[in-house]
Amino acid sequence: MSSNIRQKVMRHLELCGQVQPALHEETHAPAPDQIDNAHFRAYTRMSHDVGGEPDVPIVWEEKEEEVWEHNTFVTCEVLAWRGVWNAEERRRRQNVDVGQTQYLGLPYYGRWLLTAARILVDKQYVTCSELSDKIDEVRKRYE
Amino acid sequence: MTDEHKPHAPAPMVDEVSEFEVLEIAVRELAIEKGLFTAEDHQRWTEYMHTLGPLPAARLVAKAWLDPEYKKLAVTDGVKASLEVGIDWVNSMPTKFGTPSDYCNLRVLEDTPTLHHVVVCTLCSCYPRPILGQSPEWYRTPNYRRRLVRWPRQVLAEFGLQLPEEVEVRVEDSNQKSRFIVLPVRPEGTEGWTEDQLAEIVTRDCLIGVALPRPGKTANDPRPVRPALKPYHH
Amino acid sequence: MSKPHYDREHHAKKATGIGDPQCFKGEAPPPKFKVGDKVRVKDLPDIFYNRAQVYTRGAPAVVAELVYESPAAEDESWDNTENVTWFYSVIFKQKDLWPEYPDTFANDTVETELPERWLEPL
Repeated sequence: MSSNIRQKVMRHLELCGQVQPALHEETHAPAPDQIDNAHFRAYTRMSHDVGGEPDVPIVWEEKEEEVWEHNTFVTCEVLAWRGVWNAEERRRRQNVDVGQTQYLGLPYYGRWLLTAARILVDKQYVTCSELSDKIDEVRKRYE
Repeated sequence: MTDEHKPHAPAPMVDEVSEFEVLEIAVRELAIEKGLFTAEDHQRWTEYMHTLGPLPAARLVAKAWLDPEYKKLAVTDGVKASLEVGIDWVNSMPTKFGTPSDYCNLRVLEDTPTLHHVVVCTLCSCYPRPILGQSPEWYRTPNYRRRLVRWPRQVLAEFGLQLPEEVEVRVEDSNQKSRFIVLPVRPEGTEGWTEDQLAEIVTRDCLIGVALPRPGKTANDPRPVRPALKPYHH
Repeated sequence: MSKPHYDREHHAKKATGIGDPQCFKGEAPPPKFKVGDKVRVKDLPDIFYNRAQVYTRGAPAVVAELVYESPAAEDESWDNTENVTWFYSVIFKQKDLWPEYPDTFANDTVETELPERWLEPL
């Protein structure tokens, strides 16, 4: 199976290159003198703050909800009900802390979901290895 | 239209569980195992979600059209006015302190013949779920959020709403703890109508402000519906 | 990370039966602005998180309503709820936000809510 994993890894690396946000300047860890204050502001912008950005018309769509999307929303609300976070912390984590690539690349509730997983680890309710083991265990139920 | 802005091609129908599904189950089960919440808490919130939809907001508008005193209350204290259509922003939900994400400060935006409101949340997609249900997909798109605050008349025209220049278009950017519904002008041709008849023409889109109510129109404009792989049935 | 005396139920205890932002009522210092005041949105540093949209920075606005008292989002997001402040609903002319906005629709406006620390008198 390891060759299968290696193939997946190679495909993953290729796709990662393709889903980077389109940048129109040379990047890749520049030296400090290459980042003036305007660039500092641009790179540290909050990904949620999109009001007024130019865009082209799209088809306005309705959408059916996936079961996991519904469950994710409920989990996030119940975590707040029981004081694990407040809604403002949730909004920051899922709309800003995720970074630009995930913000624009994942479905709306995909960001909610990753953030719900993250809060359990960040606040030490669950260790990262426990989370990893749990994901692995759930996957195996469906194999 | 560039490829980037075409609706995504449907994900291939594969008979395997998605990483989203796996992670959702993992997070929910871990939270329950660690005692952060109970399975019953999750179930109670799901049941609360089943009670939600746009009808209470439509009824609030219909009542305001019929009763000037109630309209005054709605515009000055939306939370209090919601009680009369069966929505308690503090106690209707299992928390007894409101929903965490929607807070408890409904503002009702009154349109006039020279003022039209339309709601967006440019920073996420805040929406008055307790009185209006879950937000539509288009309302959550970065596209709607980017453009509405700057090109509102173009976006409204795409929704089929063209307003004359003497009407001020006011975009309400719902960015903090208040939540908003639009109270449109009562349309002509509804004289003598009952509250039930009036509520029928106040669609979700009217309450967001991308459409205007009119006699005979009891549904949102038809739009493409993106199907779910494993749909949740409310 | 959690504070030494962090109590997960502290918000529930404060807000149960009352609601949020109602639970912060009366905790803010007296408001600096009143309805009708002309203000300008400050261009404060964007470090980590806030909910003052960049498109409003430096633009003039008029206070339409004092809406409620609450901690600012940038504080509450880390559960710092000690500094409660007034929130104002302010209205911008579209022409003051976007240079290209057509003169034909000069009356068009944007309304949004901001905590006091983001506003200065104009």
